[in-house]
Amino acid sequence: MPVLHDDDRDPLDDRIRELAREVNAPPATPREEMWQAISARRQAQPRRAPRPRWVPWAAAVLAVGIGIGRMSVPESNRPTTPATSVADAPRVNPTAYRLAAEEHLAQSEAFLTLFRASLERPGDHRLASATARQLLTGNRLLLDSPAARDEATRRLLEDLELVLAEIAQLSPASPAQDLDLIRDGMERGDVLSRLRQAVPTGTVPNHGAL
Amino acid sequence: MNDRELIGRVLAGDPGAERALYDAHVDRVFRLVYRMAGDLDRAQDWVQETFIRAFDRLAGFRGESALSTWLCSIAISVSLNGMRQVRRAREREVGLDDAGPLGHQPIQADPDLRTRLGQAIEALPDGYRAVFVMHDVEGYTHDEIARALGVQTGTSKAQLFRARARLREALADFARE
Repeated sequence: MPVLHDDDRDPLDDRIRELAREVNAPPATPREEMWQAISARRQAQPRRAPRPRWVPWAAAVLAVGIGIGRMSVPESNRPTTPATSVADAPRVNPTAYRLAAEEHLAQSEAFLTLFRASLERPGDHRLASATARQLLTGNRLLLDSPAARDEATRRLLEDLELVLAEIAQLSPASPAQDLDLIRDGMERGDVLSRLRQAVPTGTVPNHGAL
Repeated sequence: MNDRELIGRVLAGDPGAERALYDAHVDRVFRLVYRMAGDLDRAQDWVQETFIRAFDRLAGFRGESALSTWLCSIAISVSLNGMRQVRRAREREVGLDDAGPLGHQPIQADPDLRTRLGQAIEALPDGYRAVFVMHDVEGYTHDEIARALGVQTGTSKAQLFRARARLREALADFARE
């Protein structure tokens, strides 16, 4: 492929460029009108309350509990809710955080693969929305845990959080544009590919959100 | 106040900072979106969507690019999705049998060069159109375009090269006059 330079330009290009600036020339920005609309829509959205200071620590403990529970208890014997206590936390091996993160990322990868396929046909996305909310909870716990100390993992969890949050907000009344934006967000951040790279071969998502 | 301080104040819940951020960037975003939309109502909708999404995602902005580039990236994403919606709506209106892809609409003969150019720009594939509008019309650099569109700088250059070639082809008979 030839190397392209900005000056690889036909004489007609300058004329086209000048005329193109006159085509669809923007009017004055209707800033007040748009700001009123933005404010109204934002006020209609539920706002996230600021998190109390104890949340990150509690979240980390819970994430460890989930991770240990999933990795160490035979499936048939698993309790319906993970049991843990703050006193357990200091004894936890960092490997548990990593394993919990891998498990979560494997579940998320499976979910997003199914979700992306479901976008090809019209339908009700309420189940996807509910699943995304569950995954979002785990995602936020992991973001607040030592698993997120790894830079690549933290970035992946942050990007995943945006995608999951958008899916969680879907409702039967959501316009098709919302689905396009989610798909676009997944593709732009290359989220699925990064999830696949982050999940070790052979990791099969256990039960949980899926 | 720089962007970093402004973002901090927005995230702390300062509504005045939200307005300041909006005021600082809305003109550039509006110009770009209007050029893409070619319609005031659509442009207003897309700009509003851009800022709503930006405020929602601001906590995830990592400062790897300028805030203006990040906003431009959201604006382009919203615009390209909006253009797809418009295209689908047009296809439904004219019927699937009669509707060609937007990027291959025949250009009607028109004595007015501006009208003809407007049609030719609209007929460009979305990616070409975005790069052409950003670079040749709004003056973005290839680096800014690459970051906003999530492509390589070389891809931006190649798409501009092809967009210009298509426009030259569409206006070839005017060039001969």
